[in-house]
Amino acid sequence: MKKALYFIIITGIVILILSFCLHKDTSSYDTEIKCNACDTVEKYPLNKIFPNPKTVTIKGTDYLQSQLPVGEFGGRLITSTIGEGPKTFNPFTAKDATSSQMAGMMYDGLVTSNPVTGEVTPKLADSIKIDGNNYIIKLRHGIKWSDGKPITADDVMFTWKDIVFAGLGNTSVRDSILVDGKLPQIKKLDNYTVVFTVPKPFAPFLRQLTTPIAPKHWFTSIPDWEKSFDRILASTVKPDDIVYSGAFHLKKYVPAQRVIFERNPDYYEINLKNQKLPYLNQVVYLIVGDLNNEILKFEAKEIDTIGLRGSTVARYKAKESQSDYAIYNLGADTGTMFLAINLNNRKNEKNKPYVSPNKQKWFSDINFRTAIDYAIDRESLVTNIAQGLAVPLFTSESLNGIYLNKNIKGHKRDLNIARKYLAKSGFRLKNNILYDKYGNKVEFDLYTNAGNTERESIGVMIKQDLADLGITVNFKPIEFNTLVNKLTNSYDWDMSIMGLTGSPLEPHNGKNVWASNGTLHLFNQRPVGYQIDDRLVWEKELDNIFEQGALKLNFADRKKYYDRYQEIVYNQRPIVYLYSPTRIVAIRRKFKNVYPTTLSGILYNIEEIWIEK
Amino acid sequence: MNILKYILKRIVQVIPLLFIVSIISFFIIRLSPIDPLAELRLNPSISQETLQKETQRLGLDKPIPVQYVKWASAFVKGDLGITSSGEKVSDKLKERIPNTLLLTSIVIFMTWIVGIPLGILGAMFHKSQFDRLLTIFSSIGMAIPSFFFAILLLIFAVKTSLFPVGGLTSFDFDEMSLGGKVLDLARHLVLPVTVLFTISLAGLQRQMRANMLEVMESDYVKFARAKGLSEFKVIFKHALRNALNPMITLLGFEFAGLLSGAALTEYVFQYPGLGRLILEAVMKSDINLVMASLMMGSIMLVLGNLIADILLIITDPRIRN
Repeated sequence: MKKALYFIIITGIVILILSFCLHKDTSSYDTEIKCNACDTVEKYPLNKIFPNPKTVTIKGTDYLQSQLPVGEFGGRLITSTIGEGPKTFNPFTAKDATSSQMAGMMYDGLVTSNPVTGEVTPKLADSIKIDGNNYIIKLRHGIKWSDGKPITADDVMFTWKDIVFAGLGNTSVRDSILVDGKLPQIKKLDNYTVVFTVPKPFAPFLRQLTTPIAPKHWFTSIPDWEKSFDRILASTVKPDDIVYSGAFHLKKYVPAQRVIFERNPDYYEINLKNQKLPYLNQVVYLIVGDLNNEILKFEAKEIDTIGLRGSTVARYKAKESQSDYAIYNLGADTGTMFLAINLNNRKNEKNKPYVSPNKQKWFSDINFRTAIDYAIDRESLVTNIAQGLAVPLFTSESLNGIYLNKNIKGHKRDLNIARKYLAKSGFRLKNNILYDKYGNKVEFDLYTNAGNTERESIGVMIKQDLADLGITVNFKPIEFNTLVNKLTNSYDWDMSIMGLTGSPLEPHNGKNVWASNGTLHLFNQRPVGYQIDDRLVWEKELDNIFEQGALKLNFADRKKYYDRYQEIVYNQRPIVYLYSPTRIVAIRRKFKNVYPTTLSGILYNIEEIWIEK
Repeated sequence: MNILKYILKRIVQVIPLLFIVSIISFFIIRLSPIDPLAELRLNPSISQETLQKETQRLGLDKPIPVQYVKWASAFVKGDLGITSSGEKVSDKLKERIPNTLLLTSIVIFMTWIVGIPLGILGAMFHKSQFDRLLTIFSSIGMAIPSFFFAILLLIFAVKTSLFPVGGLTSFDFDEMSLGGKVLDLARHLVLPVTVLFTISLAGLQRQMRANMLEVMESDYVKFARAKGLSEFKVIFKHALRNALNPMITLLGFEFAGLLSGAALTEYVFQYPGLGRLILEAVMKSDINLVMASLMMGSIMLVLGNLIADILLIITDPRIRN
């Protein structure tokens, strides 16, 4: 009797606790869905536009003058970098984003991109004049390397001729300025003037001038510098030896922990009171292993600024008013998420088709691809997977891209339209299962890289979306390397969920994806050295666009070409774009002169940022 | 003299062992489908030429046996090669080894100083309230996964701000006085040491207790008691020396764990140690780095066993003959 009583009491308590838990769970789930962060974090006002620095000449020195309010000197900003930290501080051998970013702190390029419009604006250069195929670059007078030597045309010549054209280090700049296999010419007119001559008009060249300029006297003072180029400015470099031009220079690198940068006391940018910038004494990058650790560090106030994702945004937003940070919604980011369809109809060395003939027929059918596009519910993807922190995407250029075709409006999910397209090509529904006109059941594999929870969730939702059309999708998350091998080497895949990093400023960078002989022409990849011309009609047009678009120098002329390319991609749908994540950043309020932009983020004007005490 | 001969013999035996270990690990890594260039392949701005150059630089264009011979001949000469991003493997290891040694040696020192006496006490007061309490704690310590415990402690650190969130030193470490530096290191070490200490303490305490209990049941201990020796003498002179033998073997394994025993905890606490480096290297199939760490692990294990054997020879007269 006693035991029974105990039993009843304990069961009661357990039920009570469980019901509390359940209750709490559902209610928090509700608020999360309702708290569609797109509404709560209002978009960053565009009227607060960053004014570009101007050039002023004082006592023979051409300074860059910041147009932002004058601040106070001192203090430090602590931010983070995810991953293993920099591998090198040499801007010419850096292959990963972190290394390039750190090297970029110390070495300025001739030009930079305007953080708001993306236009090319002078940095180390005083002015750039484009005269036909000639780019005449005038350097600033009186500006110096950190060891007091002037920055002159010799340094520019050295950087471009002896490093970039000679193919030392990372050759991606060299590769991207080759026109018909020819490199531009470079000539020194006087100590402060250099002329680049391109073999024929080539628009992407201008932006490549953002390449950092190296100090000739320091690089060449290193014995055998060309042979030991990889070791110049390697991660084991002694910070005191470095000769630099940037706003900050390396103070100390503690592997796997942090990189400390200190201000350049003799930088060539000044404020409105003609005091030398930067304001901050130090910029510290903490090296953190993953996103979760970064969030913990921000919460523990160990770092001052952070990029936010997913569910954390709602939580941070709720706490913002009682906290010391401000959150900025910068709108759609550069990243794109897409569904690629394999149109490959070729055979491998063993004379076996990469994609089975039945599937080839479906995938090469524009009606089929359009039906897929109309069946995908992008809005649900955005609400459920990106927690509202994304924007549906229909174009191959990212939504913050300066060449975005704004006439492509996209469409909502519409199963009726999808079914109409399928019916046009003779697909039939029987017992809720879709068959093609030859009676084959429509069933294929959908791949993505396992471990990427975002892409895995997208896969599950697309599988359900397509099930509404009667299509059976076998969703298979596989190991990243295996997927890359399928995409770039063995070509035996049907559909795949992927993302690529693009450039919002230069559509020509996508040439490797869109040109029919590109190395990343995923949806119809041809092997290296493939000779037969089996290009589809619209592939031919894309080839032409990417060739012609680079030859026009005027923005408006180029835009026409790239508008057309986005139209072709949208109409042909070899790649079905899904959404772009929204970029949301938080920074502590004590930092002033913060002008975040979607193109450049929050720390691009680090030399102008100061701390209010 | 005999011992010297024995050591030499053991060292010679190590060579074929290392050879086999290296072959097996090299081929397994290379046969796994991980492509060190996968990231580059998916970068639209990387040209075909660059990819080919990278393949050549990493030696991926050659058959695996050729790659192995190249690696092995360099390794024998003491050259560990370069990582896939071009840094010297030996430099990378040198950066990390002191950090890991600092963590693991503190942990090992603490667990042995605390674990052995607790084990003895547990056995001495077998089945008492005290022993039961110890059993409960050590069961918890053994059951709780290290990464989970580490995460709990991290949350604790964030909520209370008593401890820093991971890492080894604060950003302004270089500007501190000597006392400040020691304090800063200590503050960072408390949480990871707590995790590793709790978990290895539990195992060690149980092991010692079991050994001790077994010895206490043996005839010679009963005899010593019957002789009328004090309980203190029975335990510390007769029982303990015998119970310690298996622990010495264990110490040899602990030695091997000095460099590799804390990978998971290091990862959660973002500790700049060897474990995190190797884990990241394995993910990218950075062959030279992984091989160097595997070889180091094997050498440490062999060395640890050797040290344990020598210690046993010293403590246990039975083995000497």
